[in-house]
Amino acid sequence: MRKVYFFATCLGSAAMQDSVLNAIKLLRREGVEVIFKKNQTCCSQPSFNSGYFNESKTVAMHNINLFDEDIPIVVPSGSCAGMMGHDYLQLFEESPEFDKVQRFAARVYDLSQYLDEILQVNYEDKGEKIKVAWHSNCHALRVAKSVEASKNLIRKFANVELLELEHEEECCGFGGTFAVKESDISNAMALAKIDDIKKTGVSYLISGDGGCLLNISGTMKRNGVDIKCLHLYDFLIKRLEGAPL
Amino acid sequence: MSKKLPHDQIVKIKLGDSQLRQNLTVAMHTLQKNRLNVINAKFKNWQGLRDKAKKAKNNALMSLSDRLIEFEKNATANGIKVHWASSATDACEIIYELMRQNNIKKILKGKSMASEEIGLNHYLANKGLNAIETDLGELIIQLNDEAPVHIVVPAIHKNRNEIGKIFQEKLGADLENEPEKLNQIARKHLRDQFEGLEMGLSGVNFAMSKEGAFWLIENEGNGRMCTTAPQIHVALCGIEKVMESFEDAATMVHLLTPSATGQFIPTYNNIITAPRNEELDGPKEVHLILFDHHRSDMLAHHDYYEALRCIRCGACMNFCPVYDKIGGHSYQTIYPGPIGEVISPNIFGMEATGDILTFCSLCGRCSEVCPVRIPLADLIRKLRANKVGQGKNSPLSTQNGHKNRGEAFAMKQFANVATNGALWRFSLSKAHLFNKALHKFQNSIPVIKNWSKYKELPQIKKDLYKELENMEGVRYE
Ligand code: SF4
Repeated sequence: MRKVYFFATCLGSAAMQDSVLNAIKLLRREGVEVIFKKNQTCCSQPSFNSGYFNESKTVAMHNINLFDEDIPIVVPSGSCAGMMGHDYLQLFEESPEFDKVQRFAARVYDLSQYLDEILQVNYEDKGEKIKVAWHSNCHALRVAKSVEASKNLIRKFANVELLELEHEEECCGFGGTFAVKESDISNAMALAKIDDIKKTGVSYLISGDGGCLLNISGTMKRNGVDIKCLHLYDFLIKRLEGAPL
Repeated sequence: MSKKLPHDQIVKIKLGDSQLRQNLTVAMHTLQKNRLNVINAKFKNWQGLRDKAKKAKNNALMSLSDRLIEFEKNATANGIKVHWASSATDACEIIYELMRQNNIKKILKGKSMASEEIGLNHYLANKGLNAIETDLGELIIQLNDEAPVHIVVPAIHKNRNEIGKIFQEKLGADLENEPEKLNQIARKHLRDQFEGLEMGLSGVNFAMSKEGAFWLIENEGNGRMCTTAPQIHVALCGIEKVMESFEDAATMVHLLTPSATGQFIPTYNNIITAPRNEELDGPKEVHLILFDHHRSDMLAHHDYYEALRCIRCGACMNFCPVYDKIGGHSYQTIYPGPIGEVISPNIFGMEATGDILTFCSLCGRCSEVCPVRIPLADLIRKLRANKVGQGKNSPLSTQNGHKNRGEAFAMKQFANVATNGALWRFSLSKAHLFNKALHKFQNSIPVIKNWSKYKELPQIKKDLYKELENMEGVRYE
């Protein structure tokens, strides 16, 4: 039987527990055994992106030591998967632990890549015909490069039409600590993104990243925009179960 | 440059300028589309060309002292007078001396960011001398007493109605808004200026050490006027612009205009090898100033040397989601956008320009489009590390910059909690109990306050760990 570690991410554990549980369900329904290390914490992106490299290394090493068995580490966020699978290498460039970090990084998968590319899942659509738009997280797009896999998962549903945003590759203004350090600019970016989403006329927006979703849905709510934002893994489970979105 | 405003204040002003916002968004999206169209239509292997350019530039940088000496030797043999300037003031002084010796009161300039960098217009104005811009965009902002908003399209924040008004006010022209009419006004104004011109100034796109020549590209022909019409032509050249061969420079030119404006080739290519020889026209003297201005410090740096590959195409700002919201003036340094965030602290110091390092969500789109593969987002992050006193070899005046002690403390706390599973779990497993309190006190907790200024907070419902313990097929250990 396949066996994987699951890394819930800090945002998943703190604010998006349902999405974490649904993500694990998606692995379970393929018969994968899931190991959840209870001492897991955060991938250290907040401190890394603010320039606190020493603190980030300490947190990264905590994870590297924790997930020590030679099995995949599956992450339900392209952003954190990018951090652990790629940016950790930069963080430890020229340090004596580099080889160890490299071996760890090679085992990190974004969940959608693991489902689409490794498990090659088949999904049967139990939902009504709908149109949805997709939002790409920048780190998933450019670092983890997991966006195609995420979209492939949505495309497996016969009744779902996936619409592209005109400026899909433009950042929504989340950027972790950026959203609170430059909150005025972040808001301007989120509003531009929301205009782009509104242009498609969809009622649902799907994204594979919790941070972007909190940013976009929080701004939509504040501005009275009636579009439902769903985490990719919540969406997949609901379509598979035929549950209302 | 006018006095610097506080960071938050300038951001508010620019974000509130809806005309600026609209002009920039439309313009940047057009430039983005143009770039993509030309790459798809004309290039078989754009990525390969980027690799080739990166390599050629790196080769030149790794042998820069040889390149510079070779360039000086060959350019001098061609009859070009080569000058060396270490600081910005050195470079200004060389130009001033040339003007003084030849009793020249006015120079005309082709577009040159280098001249902006050394503050030439201001320096000459203080000496009672005149430097007049001839590039259309530069002319518009000079008339309006502004700094360039963008390194390639300096007046892109102004629409044609606004430009018509500037021409009316400053040149006494009729109020127009048709591009052709506006062009005619500028043309007439500049023709008058060109009359009796004695000294012209230009930048340099690429200098070739083997040939001892240099290459200038432009779209309007004014640059050619500045370099051929006067008796004396002075070219300003950052030392990083020197490459080995004509062929290397050609690789760069292939990437430059598609990245910048989406043009396949520039309208004018000016390759200057010598002053007037047997010919009847052309300048009698050609001077080239090689200036350093902290470039050799960057070259010696393990990471920041990469930014010296920059060919000033502006693609990184065209694609930056922050730049089109706040515009180039918010950076309050002459190099805005992602490349500005990287080179400004290196050239002008962290103390003067380090505040702009927050103008980045690290989305990485700049690194993706940069034709010479400068890892801009990574370098911005590394500069942030320097700014908080970490990372390697900080650039200029980092020690004097403002340190955020509160943030440093918070990050230490974060690392403590994030390496202690039990403490982490304890905090998070109770989070749902605090959901009400969080929403109630959102306006008094600093980080949350900034978030909830514009966005709703999420609802926290469950204790994840309890759920996981009881989940079938999950080993919770
Ligand atoms: S950093 Fe790259 S994209 Fe930006 S101006 Fe320079 S060459 Fe162009």
